[in-house]
Amino acid sequence: MSGAAVGLEGVSKRFDTRKDGGLLALDTVDFALRPGEFVSIVGPSGCGKSTLLRIMAGLVAPSTGRCTRPDGIETAFVFQEAALLPWRNVERNAQLLMELEGHPPQSYRPRAAEALKLVGLAGFEKSYPHQLSGGMRMRLSLARALALRPGLLLLDEPLAAVDELTRDVLQEELSSLWRQAGFTGVLVTHNVHEAVYLSNRVVVMSPRPGRILDVIDVPFAYPRAPELRASADFAALTGQVTAVLRAQHHAQAVA
Amino acid sequence: MTRSSSSSSSPALAFARNAAPVLVVALLAIGFWWLLSATVYQGKGYLLPSPQEVAAATVENAATLAGATLSTLKEALLGYALAIVVGIAGAAVLAQSRLLERSLYPYAVLLQTVPVVAIAPLIVLWFGYNELSVVIVSFIMSLFPIINNTMLGLRSTSRNLAELFALHRAGGLVSFWKLRLPGALPHIFAGLRISAGLSVIGAIVGEFIIGSGNAEGGLGVQIVFAQGRMYTALLFAEVIAATLLGFLFFLVVSAIGRLLLRHWHESALGS
Repeated sequence: MSGAAVGLEGVSKRFDTRKDGGLLALDTVDFALRPGEFVSIVGPSGCGKSTLLRIMAGLVAPSTGRCTRPDGIETAFVFQEAALLPWRNVERNAQLLMELEGHPPQSYRPRAAEALKLVGLAGFEKSYPHQLSGGMRMRLSLARALALRPGLLLLDEPLAAVDELTRDVLQEELSSLWRQAGFTGVLVTHNVHEAVYLSNRVVVMSPRPGRILDVIDVPFAYPRAPELRASADFAALTGQVTAVLRAQHHAQAVA
Repeated sequence: MTRSSSSSSSPALAFARNAAPVLVVALLAIGFWWLLSATVYQGKGYLLPSPQEVAAATVENAATLAGATLSTLKEALLGYALAIVVGIAGAAVLAQSRLLERSLYPYAVLLQTVPVVAIAPLIVLWFGYNELSVVIVSFIMSLFPIINNTMLGLRSTSRNLAELFALHRAGGLVSFWKLRLPGALPHIFAGLRISAGLSVIGAIVGEFIIGSGNAEGGLGVQIVFAQGRMYTALLFAEVIAATLLGFLFFLVVSAIGRLLLRHWHESALGS
């Protein structure tokens, strides 16, 4: 399955509030995702990056502008909380999205098994979510998405709630999953290191109303070794992203 | 990884640990009752019969008591079952839209606040001096906790999961069966447990109104009957039978709830 190309053309989002004019969350965002690439969106809290992700998912309609996606691609979304059904065991949780999308029932078991194997949860099929650690729940959430064989995978801070060691391991696994499965990946995060480690490109957004400040290319070849995080080049690049974020922050603080 | 409870490896041991404190309290209460009946109420068995007298009355009237209990059981069970079906289905309809809820929910509340004892005669007037009236009183008594708790449960769906279902184009019916109803089960069973006892109380109240004209009637009928004869020992036996009946309902419903929730809900984990 090859990744999907997604286009954002002049996308703005205004939320209706009691005050006149409403709240402008996103301001004319133009961006084109290339098929199969991995892009991270970083920005301060409340900059509309999650809203942008929901627009790409089709969960939220833009106020102006448009979001174009190829027809017939599967889109899967991974939330910060694993959002599992606690009454279903691991295997049946992994099958959920196939059921909702109306896949043929005979594909549920093999696809779920394949996805669970990919994320390292083979052997836990009969366990229930409450028996899993935070990292395992997130793996299950990923497996549930991957079982769809998505062309577009949208990740909303999926690793924000796990501890730091687990986060590093999951980043490495996510990167290798992306290379194996070949989806187009979009990750929303406020962890600059995570964004640089995983992505082809990092999109830096301004505080509200969210605009794209800069798009920074990450030149490191895949597969990326865990040790990359300790290299000087890596530090230089994360420094560059942080500088863009900080400049905007200072500009706002002075204004 | 799994929650194993090595201490409760033997079911018999687990039962003993759960039941022992309850039984100790029961023995103390019966002891105190006996003491009272043997001292203050000595010779006033029509006010407080002794435990032995109640036991004797139970044995003596075993056939009537069993018949009455069975009759009440049947009526309460029918009323309760009707309340479960109407309550859950009604809550599912009300939870579909705020407008429906705003227009109909107050009437569900009215059903709860109207004094059942006061409208029971009306029900008898409409439906006759028969079991149907009793079933209806039991139904009205048990309905509200089920509607109310089911609605609360259906409204407590996690936002992320609702978004996930919306993203994957799950329709209202699919969301209901795969997400909202299973998610509401803990709340539904909380309502069912409250209504278990209420359904028996409702049946007894209904039988009171029907009165003692019917010698074959349930516990409520027999209680009125025993009171008329100042047969207090039998009255006690009947009250105890009614109480145990409600308790039995509660136990059965709780057991079913634990069985359904045992894999996932905090209230039933490890049970």
